[in-house]
Amino acid sequence: MVSKKCVAMILAGGQGSRLGALTKNVAKPAVPFGGKYRIIDFPLSNCVHSGIDTVGVLTQYQPLELNTYIGNGNPWDLDRSMGGAYVLPPYQSGASGEWYKGTANAIYQNIGFMEGFNPENVLILSGDHIYKMHYGKMLEEHIAQDAAVTIAVMPVDWEEAKRFGIMNTDENGIITEFEEKPQNPKSNLASMGVYIFKYDVLKKYLTDDERDPESANDFGKNIIPKMLADGEKMVAYSFEGYWKDVGTIQSLWEANMDLIDDPPKFDLNDRKWVIYSRNYALMPHYIGETAKITNSTVTEGCEIDGEVDHSVIFSAVKIGKGAIVKDSVIMPGAVIGDGAVVEKAVIGVEATIGKNAKVGVSPESADNKYNSDYCTHGIVLVEGNATVADGEDIPKGSMIQA
Amino acid sequence: MRNDTMGIILTGDEKISPLTDIRANSALPVAGRYRIIDFVISNMANAGIVNVGIATESNYSSLMDHTRSGKPWDLDRKNSGLQILPPNLEKEKFGVIKGNIDLLAGIRDYIHRSTETYVILSLGNMVYNIDFAAVVKQHKAQQADITVVYKDVNGMEEADLSHYTLLDIDGEGCVTDIEVQPYYPKTTNASLEIFVMEKALLESIIDECSARGDVDFVKDAVIKKMDGMRIFGYKFDGHIYKVDSMKTYYQTNMQFLKEDRRKELFNRKRPIYTKTKDQSPTKYGADAKCTNSFISDGCVIEGTVINSILSRGVKVAKGAVVKDSIIMQNSVIEPDVEVSYVVFDKEVTITKGRKLIGQENYPLAISKGSVI
Repeated sequence: MVSKKCVAMILAGGQGSRLGALTKNVAKPAVPFGGKYRIIDFPLSNCVHSGIDTVGVLTQYQPLELNTYIGNGNPWDLDRSMGGAYVLPPYQSGASGEWYKGTANAIYQNIGFMEGFNPENVLILSGDHIYKMHYGKMLEEHIAQDAAVTIAVMPVDWEEAKRFGIMNTDENGIITEFEEKPQNPKSNLASMGVYIFKYDVLKKYLTDDERDPESANDFGKNIIPKMLADGEKMVAYSFEGYWKDVGTIQSLWEANMDLIDDPPKFDLNDRKWVIYSRNYALMPHYIGETAKITNSTVTEGCEIDGEVDHSVIFSAVKIGKGAIVKDSVIMPGAVIGDGAVVEKAVIGVEATIGKNAKVGVSPESADNKYNSDYCTHGIVLVEGNATVADGEDIPKGSMIQA
Repeated sequence: MRNDTMGIILTGDEKISPLTDIRANSALPVAGRYRIIDFVISNMANAGIVNVGIATESNYSSLMDHTRSGKPWDLDRKNSGLQILPPNLEKEKFGVIKGNIDLLAGIRDYIHRSTETYVILSLGNMVYNIDFAAVVKQHKAQQADITVVYKDVNGMEEADLSHYTLLDIDGEGCVTDIEVQPYYPKTTNASLEIFVMEKALLESIIDECSARGDVDFVKDAVIKKMDGMRIFGYKFDGHIYKVDSMKTYYQTNMQFLKEDRRKELFNRKRPIYTKTKDQSPTKYGADAKCTNSFISDGCVIEGTVINSILSRGVKVAKGAVVKDSIIMQNSVIEPDVEVSYVVFDKEVTITKGRKLIGQENYPLAISKGSVI
């Protein structure tokens, strides 16, 4: 029987409800990011570079686009005969078929899938973080330490620490305490939601957890505290580098802006750690006679005739003559009409901004009918396929729905 | 139902030094991220053809490296798919390929083994976007023996016209006369060297010509057999560019700066596919000035780029000016460099402050990996 040293399971079923209209029709891992990627490209590419060739992607919320996107895994070199990428939706079985109740339950329901590969270890990942990480090194450490579970942690600002699951460790990196969103954190080592379990340990805890009717079936709330209480060997693996949870409109916008700093906070132009993505056979981009592009990234299929500064322009975007785009994220296929001005905005897939429209220029006001709690810090969000009419004035902080 | 047409792409060895020293002509980078052969392979794939053979003459490792399994064109199939056919050096006649019949004779077994009824024959070094399904449909409707795709090049200088094979075509679309590169052109219907016929006919032509020592498909087979056959023209109204010299290479690339050409050659109905390299988006710096240019992914542009075509991963440093040029993959233009009318092959580096100026009708080509 085939035996895999490590199989990865990516939790990609979440809605990402704080992304507002961006995740109305797609799951958060399928949200476009960084010009030509989707969020899920990051964990998938990390897996391949880490030598992990068997990846289950657990989908639930609005899975169609994500399922099609992953397909047979070929863009990530995961179309393998022995392993590869598999989309794992919830399924009916006997009398009990049910939705994924929590992160732990989602993995529990796929024990049958994992058994097929007879894994020694299982890597649990979240499908909604932006980072480059060598899981192989973490796996080596996990094996060398003979840990029951190894949890990736990274130092965060002390101020921020209360938003995370915080790991307190001894001098050898053994986890002694775990606190979910503590008011007075004792350490600033935050869990990144990246776990490597010994498979037999994982299976035991998932099975026990499933029998507990009181459990929320969640790794952070149930599995990890239970293992700690049982005295299992739990090791913290320190990660240093860029890592971002793009769970809100603001953090998604910020993470995109991080790519265009000079030098960038997060570098995607790194041939040693290429982020793979599904390719759509688009021509190179064309920069017109009247265009001016600075401090920005532009990708395939775009036709730019306007002015672009400090922005991330995704594929097949059209920016008309005299248009000005600043501090913005323009997702695939969006059209910015001639003379339109777009500032500090996230423009969704195939949205249309009419000629001479103003988006994110006028100041915020309390009586703006488009005001939305999702749009903090004055960022404007225009949903995919939505249209802003010619000449319309959309103030800062608006969310425009399709 | 399985598609009943197969495609054969003939890749010649027209030399465009120094660019073809290391690769087949059909494997030349064009329009930034493509190779010339991408156009014909995509045309065939877009017509639903699943059996494509590429007959090669020399430097074919460049083509193999590019096409690999045929995946980008969805031609990695269990049955047939895309195949590179190296020249058959075993047969005694080979050594020098004197004409396209020699090339076809070398792949005679492959043609024979294929199970399709019809065959499209085309060249690998032409940039065009055609609906091959429509060509085959017309061929069948007219019950033609051979269909020749042509273009009315009305308006072309007589001297240029003399480079083409010209067709006399009657009101029914029937080809009544063919002249190869005539000194005094009688018509403006230029053959595009694209033919459709039954596979069995092609096989008999190859066998007959080989037996007689004939080498040219048009002169020795089609023209000689004209009286007994139904030869029809298929009029192609789009743009088509054959790349067989440095001048045509340069001009073909520059077509992509025109909006109507981009719309035609990269239309949504029939996409052009190519091998992907997963480059990150192109980055423009604070002082970048870029106008009227066609830019691939993975570039870093901090200087000025005007009227140019950039392949993937090109770096243009601050203060550098690139004008009217074609810069291939991973070339580096250092600070304060000035280049115009140049063609840089892959991985060329031009060091700080240097100048290199070619002319529009004579662009300056620099070979792969050079450091200036």
